[in-house]
Amino acid sequence: MFMPVLVFAAIFYYAPIFGIRYAFYEYKGIKEPVFIAFKNFEKMFSMQGFRAAFRNTLVLSIVKLLLNTFMAVVLSLLLNEIISLKFKKAAQTIIYLPHFMSWVVTASVFALILSPTQAGLVNSLLTRMGILERGAEIYFLGNKSWWTPVYYIINVWKDTGWGTIIYMATLSSISPELYEAASIDGAGRFQKMGYITLPSLANTIIVVLILNLAKVMNLFESVFVLQNDAVLRQSDVLQTYIYYQTFNSGALPNYGYTTAVGLIKSMVGCILVIACNSASKKVRGSGIV
Amino acid sequence: MMTKKLTAFNILLTLFFLLICFVTIIPLWKVFVDSLDLRTAYGMKLWPEKFGFDGYVSVFTNPTLYHPFLISVITTAAGTLLGLILSTLGAYVLIQSGMPGRSLLSGVLLFTMIFNGGMIPTYLVINKLGLTNTLWSVILLPGLNVFNIVLMRNFFDSIPKSLFESASIDGCSPFGIFLRIVLPLSKAALAAIGLMFAVSYWNDYTNYKLYIVNSDLYNFQMKLRSIILGSDMPTAVGSATENTVKNAATMVAIIPFMILYPFCQKYFIKGVNIGAVKE
Repeated sequence: MFMPVLVFAAIFYYAPIFGIRYAFYEYKGIKEPVFIAFKNFEKMFSMQGFRAAFRNTLVLSIVKLLLNTFMAVVLSLLLNEIISLKFKKAAQTIIYLPHFMSWVVTASVFALILSPTQAGLVNSLLTRMGILERGAEIYFLGNKSWWTPVYYIINVWKDTGWGTIIYMATLSSISPELYEAASIDGAGRFQKMGYITLPSLANTIIVVLILNLAKVMNLFESVFVLQNDAVLRQSDVLQTYIYYQTFNSGALPNYGYTTAVGLIKSMVGCILVIACNSASKKVRGSGIV
Repeated sequence: MMTKKLTAFNILLTLFFLLICFVTIIPLWKVFVDSLDLRTAYGMKLWPEKFGFDGYVSVFTNPTLYHPFLISVITTAAGTLLGLILSTLGAYVLIQSGMPGRSLLSGVLLFTMIFNGGMIPTYLVINKLGLTNTLWSVILLPGLNVFNIVLMRNFFDSIPKSLFESASIDGCSPFGIFLRIVLPLSKAALAAIGLMFAVSYWNDYTNYKLYIVNSDLYNFQMKLRSIILGSDMPTAVGSATENTVKNAATMVAIIPFMILYPFCQKYFIKGVNIGAVKE
């Protein structure tokens, strides 16, 4: 019964792992691979593009993770205070929604409302409010200093609501007696929030952070659909670097070199997972995997 | 005094969440409104000024858009089915505590969550198998999802083992137990994980970008992307402007999901919570 699963794992996971050997070869398109030992790695570390991509990967995904987690926790604490069940349910339904939009759709939506003309909602609003001059519209997704903050904002828009689910599940398991006892002792709303609700979320927050830290190196699609040539230096991450170097470099695809970049990416990812797993064991008494 | 303070807080809270919902929905609303507006410049209008369906007519009368939509439907259906088969089979084997080699098998699967070959070695394998430029690549590759196998296993674990024992005493084979006991008891998990697969197949862009060059095999996400980038505008019909068509095409990618969403929401949430039980 396990055969289909094993066959899939062998073809789509283990065969590529076997292909990592090309990281030590010169392998360009149709030509036969030639063993060159560590030359690909030497080239990689001397490339400015690689170093920028490496730094961007870590910065973009870690800041994104912290921001999304913080916003989701704040939002769950506040959702938990809503008394009307109907309103709470309606608010949850709406804030979950963007999570299901594909990144292509998300990028399309924001490309349209951030459009650098008077047709774009944001620029038109800024002009109307007198913050911008007509004709000085900002090209948010193509501006070196705007791209990164806009990227974080889009991520918060897309995933904060969905992130609250796991915290809401934890909150619903807190015994109401705790709150009653605190009220009798004279605790106010914010004291209860700070001394009961937040501490009971602590464990879940740590689990979410750890689980997601393991994924930081895999950043790809969200960046790929939002970036453009003007902001490549600010937005290029390892996966997009690999993609462009292989399929869009204008020359024959240098599979050997990009496999080597991928290997570094996988190794850093692997180290992060192992570190997170042992952190998880310390914090929770059990690992993730 | 106390109640008055609480009311003020509640009003602020309600206003805050109305604002949050407004901010969440406004980008989507704006695209919706603009898809029905035939003026050239939209600005900050939240209601169409020159109402008309020409944007949608342009999208739907264009045969090059109907085809990608169909490809999205086919790959989503086939992929979801494949994903569910592999996840349930994998999870069922992983809960056989007495089976020799079980921990080896689970190790083989879990290892792939920690370490993988990466984008290019996977591309080279798919290429060598001759799957590039065929829909097989985008159906088969995402079908095995180890995270979903783990979710499914967590759910199977909650089925009482005594049910399996009594069935096997009655002469039921392991595969019979799987078909007659495990699957019927797991409808909620099948719905939850099936929906996760369906959403990821429907939204897939990365795999198409990597493995599909032939534009006849593009799914709707790929098509939408090329429309937005302006490299592949369908001819506008009537008084629709280029922007109206872009907005309308974006809406067409969202609408099927928006229709299903209210009915499926509880299963999506269940999916997250199955994972949370054991994580």
